[in-house]
Amino acid sequence: MKIKNILLSGVLFTFHLLSFAQNTASISGQVKDEAGQTLPGVSIRLQNTNQVTITDDDGAYKFSSIAAGTHTFQVIAIGFAKQNREVTLAPGQNSILNIKLKASVGQLADVTVTGRTAVKEVNRQAFNVTAIDATKLYNTTLDVSGALDKVAGVRVRESGGVGSDFNLSLNGFSGNHVKYFIDGIPMDNFGSSFQINNIPINIAERIEVYKGVVPMWLGSDALGGAINIVTGDRYRNFIDVSYSFGSFNTHRSVLNTAVTTKKGFTVQLNAFQNYSDNNYKVTIDAADIYTGAFAPSATLRRFHDTYHNESIIANVGLVNKKFADKLLLGITLGQNYKEIQTGARMEAVFGGWHRRGRTIMPTLKYKKTDLIKGLDVTLNANYNIGYDQNIDTVNARFDWYGNRKPNGSNGERSRTHYKYRNNPVLVTTMANYKLSEKHSIAVSNVFTMFNRKGSDELNPASPELEDVKKSNKNVLGVGYNYDVEDKWSAAVFGRLINLHNTSGTSNNSSKNNLNKIGYGLASTYFINKNLQAKASYELTNRMPNAEEIFGDVENLEGNPNLKPESSNNINLGFIYNFKLNDINRFSITANGVYRHATNFIFTRYNQNQQKLIADNKDGVSTIGADGEVRYSFKNWLLAGASVTYQYLKNLQKYDFDNISGQYYTNVSPLYLNQMPNIPHLFANADLSVSLKDVGRKGNHLTLGSNLLFVDQFWLYWPSEGSRDASANKRGIPTQVSIDANAVYSLKNGRYNIAFEAKNITDARLVDNFSLQKPSRGFYLNLRYFLNK
Amino acid sequence: MKSRITKAIVALVVVAGFSACKKNDSSNLTKGEYILTLTPIASTGVADYLVNVPSLNEGSVTTQGNGQEQDGTYRYYLTHKGKFFSMLYGQGNPGAVTAYNNQNGLLTKLTNFQTETVQAFAPVSDDILLTKIPRTINPAGTLIPYYQVSTNSLQIAKEGTLDAMAPGNNGEIAHFSWLQQVGDKVFAPFFPIKNGSFDSDHHDQAYIAVYSYPGMALEKTIRDDRTSFIGRYFVNGLGVVENGDVYAFSASVSSTTDLIGETKVKRLTDTKPAAITRVLSGTTEFDQNYYFNVEAASGNYYVTNWIYVGGNKFVAHVLPKAEKGAYAAGKELAIVDVSAKTVTMVTGMPGKASISSLSVNNFTPKDGTAYIGVNLTTGGGYVYKINAGNATATQGIKVESGTITAVQYLANQ
Repeated sequence: MKIKNILLSGVLFTFHLLSFAQNTASISGQVKDEAGQTLPGVSIRLQNTNQVTITDDDGAYKFSSIAAGTHTFQVIAIGFAKQNREVTLAPGQNSILNIKLKASVGQLADVTVTGRTAVKEVNRQAFNVTAIDATKLYNTTLDVSGALDKVAGVRVRESGGVGSDFNLSLNGFSGNHVKYFIDGIPMDNFGSSFQINNIPINIAERIEVYKGVVPMWLGSDALGGAINIVTGDRYRNFIDVSYSFGSFNTHRSVLNTAVTTKKGFTVQLNAFQNYSDNNYKVTIDAADIYTGAFAPSATLRRFHDTYHNESIIANVGLVNKKFADKLLLGITLGQNYKEIQTGARMEAVFGGWHRRGRTIMPTLKYKKTDLIKGLDVTLNANYNIGYDQNIDTVNARFDWYGNRKPNGSNGERSRTHYKYRNNPVLVTTMANYKLSEKHSIAVSNVFTMFNRKGSDELNPASPELEDVKKSNKNVLGVGYNYDVEDKWSAAVFGRLINLHNTSGTSNNSSKNNLNKIGYGLASTYFINKNLQAKASYELTNRMPNAEEIFGDVENLEGNPNLKPESSNNINLGFIYNFKLNDINRFSITANGVYRHATNFIFTRYNQNQQKLIADNKDGVSTIGADGEVRYSFKNWLLAGASVTYQYLKNLQKYDFDNISGQYYTNVSPLYLNQMPNIPHLFANADLSVSLKDVGRKGNHLTLGSNLLFVDQFWLYWPSEGSRDASANKRGIPTQVSIDANAVYSLKNGRYNIAFEAKNITDARLVDNFSLQKPSRGFYLNLRYFLNK
Repeated sequence: MKSRITKAIVALVVVAGFSACKKNDSSNLTKGEYILTLTPIASTGVADYLVNVPSLNEGSVTTQGNGQEQDGTYRYYLTHKGKFFSMLYGQGNPGAVTAYNNQNGLLTKLTNFQTETVQAFAPVSDDILLTKIPRTINPAGTLIPYYQVSTNSLQIAKEGTLDAMAPGNNGEIAHFSWLQQVGDKVFAPFFPIKNGSFDSDHHDQAYIAVYSYPGMALEKTIRDDRTSFIGRYFVNGLGVVENGDVYAFSASVSSTTDLIGETKVKRLTDTKPAAITRVLSGTTEFDQNYYFNVEAASGNYYVTNWIYVGGNKFVAHVLPKAEKGAYAAGKELAIVDVSAKTVTMVTGMPGKASISSLSVNNFTPKDGTAYIGVNLTTGGGYVYKINAGNATATQGIKVESGTITAVQYLANQ
């Protein structure tokens, strides 16, 4: 009965907004040591409940809604004496409790690492998840995708410099198998101005990478994994501004700021900008467009690859009120401009074709913990009324020297100026109820709508413009969690996905309705305080997305008959932390993954090989493993290395014959072969040294370097064609790239100057279809940070 | 403590060892003067593999561990003046011309330069002539860009544009079906198309545009209303025999589209039978004294493609008239004797039901035989040697898997 009521209240939570919020209070404060230095990572537990919070980088903490009355707070930190503080809270009171901890040098050996930062907290979930502490990367010029590339199991493949297309692969799954979220909100709607390849790392507090099984509360139909960018609300009042410039005329700036009044009225603003000419040198077999004169291995600069984007995210609303921890109305505005230098192969070069995109997206965010005791609810909604444009109006052909030759009247690829809106709408709701200290249940629902409409001023009569392109999707999830803290925890969950498409001409449209059910189990067990094991299984489904159904207007043809993909995922992982003594500390992580996907969605060329089209392959299985070791020496040296191996196997036994329209009768020679064009072995290593009080007290210097290794792999089926050197089988050679950086922070991080060198050895880095990435570059980054 | 480090190292080594799987580089690269171009099964958007083989009459070959990968996704081939040319069909993307010679039994790349994607090309004198044909009518001028690529310098010797509306002079684009050098001229048989489609309001009419070379001046358009247009899309409908006479086949596949209610329905419009006509050597008119009704002579078959093998005989791909379509391709072979006006079905071929397709870019030593790729529904195939003298097919080299798109010969340097 109780559960039923709770479920009901979860679904209808909006009606409860005010009625249950009368008898709570909040408490917040800052934890410092005796010298007045703030203490991050301190654990504060509300005794006799399960509520724990961890202080942030500034030692600040907050319990936003606890029952009025007398409570005892237990404060624990490494190297400090434990403290219990009793406080009596009146209903509605916003109490402040600052805590000063005394060092307990003698007891250091007995105190274990129980105070965990949010990043480590994430890693303790039952899911196979890696969290990146983005705050450590704020003084770099990285965007989110650059930070992800350093995670074991993750490989971000880019087709060029700043703003170029990317394809992230996670344990061998890539493209739309992996879903992106920002604060738990799916990013599918955000448009080209707001993607992981142009969001600067400074927007994020941390980035969570879920490999394989995705937690139910990230309600979506991800199949290969998920990336969740957590922006966090770390500070009530702060300003963080940075600007960097460097090679290839690259300029980036980021402004993050928030102002919050005592009464909880808040204004938050994130703004960022990227600009780059991307005119780095490439080595290419060039030919003169007029004569055909052939120049093998010419070194030339890119000449039509400028990219820039400007984005603003603004939120206005209330925080820490009785009826809401957070109620924010916001708008995301963005625009981007992107010149297209090459096609899928570098041999196809363009000099005029470009794209423009605009994001105009009003948003609503609501969050309340303990709406009634134990019930947390979240609601997010957004609607993007922005548009994209594909502009190919130059009637000329270009060569790599930049020469231009008129070619009639058909543009570079196909003369067009298509402007379109996808009109995406997204509503996510989520309710989590804690039945007791150990049991909790959760319900989440994600609803999306897509309705593309466009016009082409150069081809106004094109019949394609009239076609109906609508897609509605709903993902409903239910989960149950059992948690014995520091012993074990388990999650069981199920998902129901419904997809409804309408396609075809307005008079003769066809409808397609699909339902899929998935379920899974994830569990973690702490063998001892330092050794944690994780295991999970899931049957998951991925629905075709709107671009796969209707095409992307550029290179992808729509396939309204695409079937949903299903996958059985098994993950196994271990995390082991140990120290030789207080000087040498280690952390080891190892993960294994097995997948068996049926109706695997992949892209192939269409009938006339004019475009790509998404299609189903009978099956693909993946086996993969990754491992990471981290080491710290005292407080000033950090080193780490990770290695990833993955093997994807083709399970399509009979191939389709495009000519006869039937399957071949012989078993395919590629059955059980390794899938092409997927990196199978890659590794990362990093080393950094932090020197405190350099120059003067409070000024710190950090020196670091990073090495990336990707083993060679083949563009097409590895078993097809000769590997003899004279046969020139097309592949991506082994790549090694080394970056280095130095960060000098003044006044405890208020002013920061960073210098970065990327691709120091000027190695020829390539990714997809030999598209070359930037040559050696140098960047200077200036950052100012103030928190009150 | 030490054991912990050991454990950690062991864990890492296990992961690394797992990763360092063996790469077997067993190379079985075949060599020879014959070239098979094979589209691999389960294509991932790669162009055909180029495979050199020592003989077409025996043995077997596979693209597994053999053959050279090409750049791009779709290619067409021709061999001329000791060089093998591979033309990239890039659709809207730029096209390219890649040239090879044969060094020690292996194709060796000489050049690779960008052009437009071209729809008709042929060897002409010391050049290859390439044309890009528009599909939309531009009021400011509808142009056919052409390139003359020298087989000696491997550069563009001359380029220019042709008026696409002039040859037909009927308000429709003259879409060349193919190009053929005839004496010192270039014959370009064409089919008219409307703006933005492959439909035409014209039917039962044959056209050949006659151009000078290398000047590319349109000298005249010769017409004949006894047959429909000559050749088909990407198919050479002309054959020049030893005495210089030119034979032309028509498949009678003009089409248009009707709107019936809301649906568009494609309809064939020709009323004349599929037939063969002739242009006598040295003339630029159809020979009104020669007419060969293929449908009547064959029991209602029509020619979809052919190759001239010498002695006034062609090896033709044929289809029953009942299976007529603008792009339908014959799965049976017949010997067409243009002087005797006979059509003889070739025997010794695999059953029609087991054939997926026949290759259309084939090799003949001009001694009355031709080598034609037969792609089976199993996913593999064979090259068959066709003897025009007795209309028989003999099984030759086996292709373990993959689709044969061309059979060519290129002598070693």
